[in-house]
Amino acid sequence: MAKLLQSLTFIDGNTVHSPKDYIYTGSEILPKSDNYPGNIDEIIDCTGLFASRGWVDLRCVSGEPGEEHKESLESLGELLKAGGFTKAVLMPNTHPAIQDKNDIQFLRSKTKNWITDLVINAAATKDCKGDDFTDILDIHQEGVDIFGDGLNPISNPDRLMKVLQYLQKFNGTLFDQSYEPLLALFGQMHEGVVSTRIGMKGIPNLAEEVAVQKNIEILKYAGGKIHFQTISTKGAVESIRKAKNAGLKVSADVSIYQLIFSDEDLLSFDTNFKVMPPFRGKEDREALIEGLKDGTIDAIVSNHQPQDFDAKHMEFDLAHSGMLGLQTFLPSLVKLSKELGWPLLISKITEGPLRILGEKNEKIHQLTVFDPSETWVYDKKSNLSHSTNHPWFGEILQGKVKFVINSDRLVKVNS
Amino acid sequence: MSQLSTRHLLGIKDISPEDIQLIFETADNFKEVLNRPIKKVPSLRDITIANIFFENSTRTRLSFELAEKRLSADVVNFSSSTSSVKKGETLIDTVNNILSMKVDMVVMRHSSPGAPHFLARNITANIVNAGDGTHEHPTQALLDAFSIREKLGDVAGKKIAIIGDILHSRVALSNIFCLQKLGAEVMVCGPTTLIPKHTVSLGVKVEHDVEKALQWCDVANVLRIQLERQQIKYFPSLREYSLYFGINKKMLDRLDKEIVIMHPGPINRGVELNSDVADSEHSIILQQVENGVAVRMAVLYLLAGVK
Repeated sequence: MAKLLQSLTFIDGNTVHSPKDYIYTGSEILPKSDNYPGNIDEIIDCTGLFASRGWVDLRCVSGEPGEEHKESLESLGELLKAGGFTKAVLMPNTHPAIQDKNDIQFLRSKTKNWITDLVINAAATKDCKGDDFTDILDIHQEGVDIFGDGLNPISNPDRLMKVLQYLQKFNGTLFDQSYEPLLALFGQMHEGVVSTRIGMKGIPNLAEEVAVQKNIEILKYAGGKIHFQTISTKGAVESIRKAKNAGLKVSADVSIYQLIFSDEDLLSFDTNFKVMPPFRGKEDREALIEGLKDGTIDAIVSNHQPQDFDAKHMEFDLAHSGMLGLQTFLPSLVKLSKELGWPLLISKITEGPLRILGEKNEKIHQLTVFDPSETWVYDKKSNLSHSTNHPWFGEILQGKVKFVINSDRLVKVNS
Repeated sequence: MSQLSTRHLLGIKDISPEDIQLIFETADNFKEVLNRPIKKVPSLRDITIANIFFENSTRTRLSFELAEKRLSADVVNFSSSTSSVKKGETLIDTVNNILSMKVDMVVMRHSSPGAPHFLARNITANIVNAGDGTHEHPTQALLDAFSIREKLGDVAGKKIAIIGDILHSRVALSNIFCLQKLGAEVMVCGPTTLIPKHTVSLGVKVEHDVEKALQWCDVANVLRIQLERQQIKYFPSLREYSLYFGINKKMLDRLDKEIVIMHPGPINRGVELNSDVADSEHSIILQQVENGVAVRMAVLYLLAGVK
């Protein structure tokens, strides 16, 4: 089973190591040494290729069950593989929502052949509506430790408090995309200079900042753990930084495309740029980058949200929110690597999210191997999703995942 | 230059001051035509124009229709009350169906900001935006500026106060862009809840005291309270709005100068504007309506020349 990975450039959260030979034993990756006792079954030339511990995505959405035409679990599995992810957290926002034991069993059975380990974020409230609780303890019996309403915030403070309290029985984590819906009412994009120029109802930073502050105060009272998903504002970064410094059990992630695009991209009314939280301004992006650097933000997520052609091919205010994020994840990293460097980016998709999932960073048994230079055309032919909602569709992208390793499996990503 | 720099009129934001001057000069000629005994010219003969109104409109639709007929275009009208939109057909399907009938130009009003931009990416006909939600209403801004030019000789250097519901107004946004391109100073005035938070970024002054705004300006363009576009409460009552933001004759009499009063219509009489102002010698509201036809003739005529 052992494979020799020749001349591989390994990256961890601290450094880009010089190219070396590594041995993948079938259960862990080790630097090659002359006294390796086993047999080498295969030699893989990795010249020019980069690798790191397997990537972890804390947020992606499926269409199945209910909207298989947007994304099926089969296509999502292929996308996660092509995206280089060996572990991914699936949001509960399907039809029906992921909210009982049967749903969990259904997902596990449909994804058992994935190379990517599935982590389920089950709904904390029925149909993700923020009202009645789901059977949280019952669902936990199926191995689920993460609860939250995914794309919907739990905006009722009493409900959020009680979920935080209830989860403490098994040290569970509440994942919440915190914003105050009443302050985002009818909003279509970030409220700022651009929304003013194009006459579009904006979503102020205040909507997110108020909710994050409120939820931190509730956490102080209730105890428990909260993970703030896809934060987008300077104020949210500052609040989470203070909460972390005060020793509260908070963590946070940011969408990769929040670091790539801004509200100025909406000047042309292209519905591909309609996402939630919306693309913010320059000052917010700078704060998010600072938050990544100083550890306030633990993870970068794909926030993969498929929308079919008809859901996007319409008037802006009627179009659905969301952007694909898996196949474009590495090309996005490549763009960001010039500014942020590979070690920081890799830490936010490996060690950072693993910490949130409560996994210890022991031996490496998952690996993502990629070529940061290879270019490819993102088009109908190469697209693995059932949807096409990404503004880069039709463009030449740089960065290609070559293969992923998960325990005893090595899967090549087809060109 | 005798041709516009664009083949669509989607917004004032996208056109140049030279385009605006060309439209004005062309409108001057058409206004002269409108005062002749025979008010029709053959300029757009064999051109078919569809007026597609997904939102209620009386004066804008009539003004466009009249402009089109004065130019001898063939006209088809389509409004949401009679359309298949209510049966669930999408905007793109509705418009494609109409275009299958070989329409050359589309004049569209729609409640969604950017709807005409969406169309422009998907169909080949020339498009005139007749109002898209809270975004732009370019022909209204052009006719407003044309009317100011007619009344005061020039727009450059003039002080224009836009008073009322700025937040929900496409007229305000198009007016701001148009007046600034022509060298005017612009102020917006209204309750804080009806002025977008980032309005100052547009390079305008912001005032909340109507009397101060009137004192500052040469022209007050008073906007209609857009109750139909206010999905939540922005001020306590029409009575209070009228008391603190409405304009009456006594306020004009207290000024030490004469100012021009404009309104894009339809007026909520007794709310934003009292009748003693709307019908006074200060008002050029009816001239705006008359100029609307000439300006729209100019826009249609010029766009038809750009393929």
